[in-house]
Amino acid sequence: MAQSSRPPSVLDSLGEEIIKIVTPVSICMFLVVILVSVLDSSSSSSSTSAASMATIAYSENDSDSSWDKFIGAVWNSLAFVAIVTVVTFVLVLLFYLRCTRFLKFYMGFSAFIVLGFLGGEIALFLIQDFSIPVDCITFFVVLFNFAVVGVLAVFVSKMAIFVTQGYLVVIGMLVAYWFTMLPEWTTWVLLVAMALYDLAAVLLPVGPLRLLVELAISRDEDIPALVYEARPVTHRDSGHEGRVVQRRVWRERPNSAHDPAEVPKLNSTVNPALHGNSTNDSMSNTNAASIANENVTNTVAVQETLSQCLEGESELSAPLIDHRINVSPQGHEDAVPSENLALEGIGLGSSGAIKLGLGDFIFYSVLVGRAAMYDFMTVYACYLAIIAGLGITLMLLALYQKALPALPVSILLGVLFYILTRLFLEIFVVQLASNLLMF
Amino acid sequence: MEALRSPADNPTPNRDPNPNSNSIAPSSPVWPTIDGPLGLSEEDSVGYARRFYQFGFALLPWLWAVNCFYFWPVLSHKRSFPQIRRYVIRSAIGFSVFSAVLCAWALTFAIGGERLFGSVWNQLVMYNLADKWGLTGWD
Repeated sequence: MAQSSRPPSVLDSLGEEIIKIVTPVSICMFLVVILVSVLDSSSSSSSTSAASMATIAYSENDSDSSWDKFIGAVWNSLAFVAIVTVVTFVLVLLFYLRCTRFLKFYMGFSAFIVLGFLGGEIALFLIQDFSIPVDCITFFVVLFNFAVVGVLAVFVSKMAIFVTQGYLVVIGMLVAYWFTMLPEWTTWVLLVAMALYDLAAVLLPVGPLRLLVELAISRDEDIPALVYEARPVTHRDSGHEGRVVQRRVWRERPNSAHDPAEVPKLNSTVNPALHGNSTNDSMSNTNAASIANENVTNTVAVQETLSQCLEGESELSAPLIDHRINVSPQGHEDAVPSENLALEGIGLGSSGAIKLGLGDFIFYSVLVGRAAMYDFMTVYACYLAIIAGLGITLMLLALYQKALPALPVSILLGVLFYILTRLFLEIFVVQLASNLLMF
Repeated sequence: MEALRSPADNPTPNRDPNPNSNSIAPSSPVWPTIDGPLGLSEEDSVGYARRFYQFGFALLPWLWAVNCFYFWPVLSHKRSFPQIRRYVIRSAIGFSVFSAVLCAWALTFAIGGERLFGSVWNQLVMYNLADKWGLTGWD
């Protein structure tokens, strides 16, 4: 193909930026769909749903009517959104008080919990379902390695980009799989509620996410949260070789006289004060639960998974903080080729990278995973809807050039397409297929 | 799509900062990390390589592997970055030895089964232990 003879068009650079963010989102969704379809079909306990913080208001059982389930799901979602709001405000407060070391430490810790415990549980599910003859020594060594290197990837600012991105996708996948274990109505109403919450939190002037973003801009720091950052696109004619390209995405620091103790990059999570106890609780309650086994009482169940969920939740809430896409303005002060200056009008600077919060990954994957629990037809429809929503959000981002919520458009389109597919498309496709007409 | 460049292609632009250099002499890479200009500079790399190497002794062969991956240009070009290369080579050796031992043990366990181990096999295998300890009881 013709190479450097023609200047890079808008489509090249813009397309590459979009691909770099769509690829990991798609990979995460794909992995969750695979996990859901592999573990769901072979497990017999699909009727028992995980009692957790998201179901404290109401736990669904099959005998309720649809209206009851819907109302219960609304109560659950409201409770969950309330908890997330409180936790986000706590994070804003901590960030305002400059407790970045604490936040960073806590982020590393909760990454360890997610990778170690959640990852271990899911690995155990797989081992049990397929009867893989792994012994405990190998299993624990491998799990320990995986979790510790994951924590390092998230903690250490200058780790290999591929490793960091890979681990963020894995963390998103694990938390998303855990969320798909919620009861069905709760999941769907929760998704819509989180989309609306995201819209409010980022766009309203009093919203916690907006406060966080403005604090970060005013201090010229990165937001401490689990954020997936796409690799910056370096164009052939921009003179970036020969100097270390800064990966800071908010803006270029004009002088390096800033406080070197500032965390150069992101990545810490919120710690609700409850978490400190919760690991102890989960240990003791695991023993209690093993004794009580399937007849475990509601309180013990809730407590154990409450503690487990708190760990997931505290990790989750931080990515929720940042689940919007932001774009860096053109970061470098040195002379930029004119083609790149033209690109600035669209808002995707050539050395800027698109950032997408991990909460977005998680909720997209939850939607697709839940769609996978019905049929693959809904998976395709929801996947296309989410990618379209992501594209629309990126276009709006280029238009408005400020932090935008990435959840609302995609989630609402996804839910709409799921409903439409189940109501209309399924009948159509099944009729065609059974009459051997198409597909 | 030709616009799509995978991240693994990054070593190519690093290897030759000035495109006018002759291709006869092998040019040593400017950047020691696989991320190229986005990664570490040479001074920082020595510290990182050393710390990854030392932490790997805490039963973390995967960290050694990540170390080798991260400093792949150092490994693939001989006679480049001698300080970093020391640690990366040792990490590679450590990873190979440890993973050989672990694989040998895991395969012996999996293939040998009960014939080789007797009743101890059932006490060591993971799915039985998971049931015994109730590890997969979500709720």
